[in-house]
Amino acid sequence: MFIRIVLSFLFIFAGATKAYDPSEFAREIARYQLVPWTVSVLGAIYLPWLEMLTGILLLLKRFERGALLIVTVLLLVFSGALASAMVRGLNIDCGCFGRAFAATGTLTPLIRNLVLLTCASVVWVDGQQPPQNEG
Amino acid sequence: MKAVRQALAILSLALIPSAITAAFHPRRPGWTEVRRGEVSLETVRNWGSSVLWVDARPAEEYQVGHVPGAIKLSLENWDTDLPKFLDQWKPDQKVVVYCSSTSCELSHEVAERLKQNGVSTVFVLQGGWETWKGRK
Repeated sequence: MFIRIVLSFLFIFAGATKAYDPSEFAREIARYQLVPWTVSVLGAIYLPWLEMLTGILLLLKRFERGALLIVTVLLLVFSGALASAMVRGLNIDCGCFGRAFAATGTLTPLIRNLVLLTCASVVWVDGQQPPQNEG
Repeated sequence: MKAVRQALAILSLALIPSAITAAFHPRRPGWTEVRRGEVSLETVRNWGSSVLWVDARPAEEYQVGHVPGAIKLSLENWDTDLPKFLDQWKPDQKVVVYCSSTSCELSHEVAERLKQNGVSTVFVLQGGWETWKGRK
């Protein structure tokens, strides 16, 4: 329960900070040098809303399995991008929370993502278990 | 299977606010990347011959091809490349730095470094070498 709420709020917050300034987020995506500018723009416009929507649905326990699936895929994609930036020696900021926090580089966000992936797995497994009879 | 169906529904639903953002958000990104300090190739051409080109790409790429007259100035060999640049640079000249493409950061980093070294009129070519090669 607690892990699900933390995961939800993190995604809502991450999405909101990016949705506030899509131009800056597009530049953050472009700095990874993985996709052309047009794809960075599409990602900057779409991803913040997807993050917020999944966070809200996860919090409300609506479409929970689908939201968890998206959260997991997003975390895997973000982690892959961060790992790739590290391997290529790019000196960039994660861009995970827009400009809400000071620059964190790539290692700390990668570790955080791996922790969040573990959290998502816990929520996933927890949701698979049948409800316990009380009393 | 249920999770996939739900995920598809969420992915579709997220398109609605995204479309509104693309159409109306005051800070929506442009489809053509223009960053602070960047100039288009057309603008640079209008400046005429008073431009000093700087190639910020790695030496191997510079050897394969570069803008005629461009000086190689990479961050890797900054200490050896900078004196060569300063030999050719005149204070009234506009300096235009380029790297490989739009997504390349090297040109911005070199431009910033040049500014720190007292070269004030520094610009970055929008689209970099790919744009120049495509429109020469």
